[in-house]
Amino acid sequence: MQTLTLPGSGRRGPGINWLRGLVVVLAATAIFLPLFLIFYQSFLTAPFFMPAKQFGLDAYRFIFDDPDFSSAAKNALYLALGLTAIAVPLGGMLAFLMIRTDLPGKGFIAPALLVPIFVSPMVMGFGYVVAMGPVGFYSVWAKDLLGFIPWNIYSFTSIVIIAGLTHVPHVYLYASSALKSLGSDVEEAARVAGASPLQVMFGVSLPMITPALAYAGVLVMFLGFEVFGLVLVLGDPEGHMVLATYLYKLTNKLGIPSYHLMAAVAVCLVMVTFPLVMVQRYLLKSANKFVSIKGKGARSKVMPLGQWKWLAFALIFGWLMFTIIMPLSGIVLRSFVEYWGEGVRLVDVLTLQHFREILDQPSLVRGIVNTILIGVVGGALAVICYCAIALAMHRKPDMISRFLDYSVLVPRAVPGLLAGLSFLWVFLFVPNWLDGILQGMDNGVAVWLSENAIPVLRSLRSTIFALWLAYSVVWLAYGMRLISTALLQVGPELEEAARAVGASRGQVSRDVTLPLIKYGLLGAWLMVFLIFEREYSTGVYLLSPGTEVIGAMLVSLWASGSTDLVAALSFINISLVAIGLGVALRFGVKLHN
Amino acid sequence: MKRDLTMNELTVNDLHLDYGTGATANPILKGVSMHLQKGEVVALLGPSGSGKTTLLRAVAGLESPKQGTIAIGDRAVYDGAKNFELAAEHRNLGLVFQSYALWPHKTVFDNVAYGLKLRKMGAAEIKDKVADVLKNLGLGHLAERYPHQLSGGQQQRVAIARALVYNPPVILLDEPLSNLDAKLREEARAFLRELIVRLGLSALMVTHDQAEAMAISDRILLLNNGKIEQQGTPQSMYETPETLFTAEFTGSNNKLPAKVVGRDGNRVQLDVTGARLTGTARGAGQAGAEPTTIIRVEEVKISATAVDNAIEMPLLTCMYLGDRFECLFKSPDSSAAGLRAYSKYKLEPGRYWLQMPADKLWVF
Repeated sequence: MQTLTLPGSGRRGPGINWLRGLVVVLAATAIFLPLFLIFYQSFLTAPFFMPAKQFGLDAYRFIFDDPDFSSAAKNALYLALGLTAIAVPLGGMLAFLMIRTDLPGKGFIAPALLVPIFVSPMVMGFGYVVAMGPVGFYSVWAKDLLGFIPWNIYSFTSIVIIAGLTHVPHVYLYASSALKSLGSDVEEAARVAGASPLQVMFGVSLPMITPALAYAGVLVMFLGFEVFGLVLVLGDPEGHMVLATYLYKLTNKLGIPSYHLMAAVAVCLVMVTFPLVMVQRYLLKSANKFVSIKGKGARSKVMPLGQWKWLAFALIFGWLMFTIIMPLSGIVLRSFVEYWGEGVRLVDVLTLQHFREILDQPSLVRGIVNTILIGVVGGALAVICYCAIALAMHRKPDMISRFLDYSVLVPRAVPGLLAGLSFLWVFLFVPNWLDGILQGMDNGVAVWLSENAIPVLRSLRSTIFALWLAYSVVWLAYGMRLISTALLQVGPELEEAARAVGASRGQVSRDVTLPLIKYGLLGAWLMVFLIFEREYSTGVYLLSPGTEVIGAMLVSLWASGSTDLVAALSFINISLVAIGLGVALRFGVKLHN
Repeated sequence: MKRDLTMNELTVNDLHLDYGTGATANPILKGVSMHLQKGEVVALLGPSGSGKTTLLRAVAGLESPKQGTIAIGDRAVYDGAKNFELAAEHRNLGLVFQSYALWPHKTVFDNVAYGLKLRKMGAAEIKDKVADVLKNLGLGHLAERYPHQLSGGQQQRVAIARALVYNPPVILLDEPLSNLDAKLREEARAFLRELIVRLGLSALMVTHDQAEAMAISDRILLLNNGKIEQQGTPQSMYETPETLFTAEFTGSNNKLPAKVVGRDGNRVQLDVTGARLTGTARGAGQAGAEPTTIIRVEEVKISATAVDNAIEMPLLTCMYLGDRFECLFKSPDSSAAGLRAYSKYKLEPGRYWLQMPADKLWVF
């Protein structure tokens, strides 16, 4: 029999992979250009668009002399440490109770646990104000009962506790997946040796998932430095600031665009978050160190808690009440009442007025439409981009893959607020810079480009594309995790088999890899939808007519004090997240890994 | 036979256990009764899925039965009728896991000491007891090591030490040797038997390997599909099986395509592809016209000349096993499986008479 040869198989060696090159260049530009601008700007003495700028350290000198900055930095540290100290032990214990014991009500606790992860912290913060603030619903009811309000949510301690409790689910997710992959035989061995469930938890289970807890600890500490919305809302009345809110308030403080100062604060913040991201990466590698292979007796019976069952349930219910039910019910109530205060009867003030008001304001309607668009369409586009980057790295262990591997982590270290700011600068700066170059060149093409392409580039800033790009880059590391988890499921031999029968790399990706991860990609789309609905800080500096999204508008409406609209918009935002979560749960999308 | 129940360290009575509930319930144990006397080693033997590990785990308190009773000594730990179930940590048993389940974050010393710490023993006393048990198991010099620094055999001994240190009345062993390499397994088998005899332990051991069960235990309980098929001493199980299942599970056998042509009490006249043989009927149920006829491979005697109670077959091939040859005989025209027999020496090609002693040729 004659061997059938492939068309064009005489060609030797692969040529340069242009597609891969394009993906790498675009990704690197989107990642590093904004970051570079922040650094560049921080070493200028004035905003980059001013003619009078020069290199210098004035910006750093100014913020280091500012007492507000040092208090904000100290607060940020306390918040991050306090949050970690609260979230890690509680998250670990919660995971043990949920995964290993006969805790009642697991069925409804499990989905509820995801709520604080997917509801915007801005919304949560606002929820606490309307539920437990000085005239919040629960405060007023408590005052009616007790004669006084037993809490003050505006104190810094309260902010730390709230931040800590709302970050318990993050730890829970990592701790529970580590526990699930931990063979139950080590726990059974402890029980047979005479350990009660509590002793098993502290003596065996939690120590054995130490690597996962350490990873989760660094993660939530990192998130603690990123906290913005919660402190913006709850810290305002008593003037508590963290680095992110200090940055946000710099403009108000000086009354002029103080980009160089903001950049300096941003660099300080990145200096803290970047090492944390690197530590996370290191810990993730060792996170599976203790995980033992499940024995034959993997079908293990849950541990009976006995009389502790209901105490454990009560504690978890208390946590659910405080972190989910109270703030969210506060928002729902507030969005349907005209006003609220002491001595007001709920039934007298019920109204749909706030929602009508939203419909009357074109910018708010646009914001809602944009939020849905950026979640659905933008989410799909983001997944396609993430997928392109992931395929550029897939099974090609070379320098470019290593470069991408580290690069995608970089945006993770840039909090959304900074990323939004830096993208604003990119869209302000890059067209000017390109224009300058083109005008310096004296030929027809340059003139044509200068007259036609530059205005297009300038106008991008006020389109939703700018916002989408910022969102996609901010969540790049997260999205890449989703895609690479799906890619890991594809056995290398399936792709090798395709190569062996004569498919090129591109054909393997198109005909084997992508069809196999189809459902993983759909799941990723849903997850990206959820986080894009939740995102608020990235859009703050990119907010302009045409780029409104709910998250950013909440920040600006909150600043202008329109509580009614904030409540109604928050309600709509929660509904969108709830729809996404509902779909995810309905189709069994893995909401975490 | 009526037994004095107070002598039993462990009594299981009519135990039923399902996986899942309601419509999806999958019965695993279907009424198992057993007992274990002081100083006795009982092996739970059976194929996978027979419920032997489940029975052990139910005794340990790691599975919840549906009905029946379990008592350790004279203390009831499970009573289905009273809906009473003692938690695993209060049963005071020693359990050696198949995977050993050593805690990787604790040293050998801490692994063994944990049970004593839970029993609120003083630090000095713990030190003495742990050192004692480690020395007993030949692990004295390894106390400060972590489990991953030990070999498989050492890990197994740590697991045993951990289960023994607080002197449980019964020690439960779940496939204790299956995680060891074949060579190491024989040494560990001898070690385990020696340890059990030396310390006078009462032990319940799960295994799927009949050789292991026979070597280590005083009594074997053969489980089949959630029920006890037969129980007895290793010798009686091997030499006088009551059922075909027991006979097939406990040794290597030849199956003969035999037809019954006559009976005389226990003696059965058989026709095997034309040859007349005499066999012995075994088991409770009287065999029908086409029963299963088997003989242990080692009971088949090879003869170059015609002998009594034998069939003539040509030699197909011989396999060298080291200490002997396993020879395969097969008629070229027959579609039936051939016969296997052991030979001290390599046989020349040709026809042989395979003799089968009448009392070893079992008809079920």
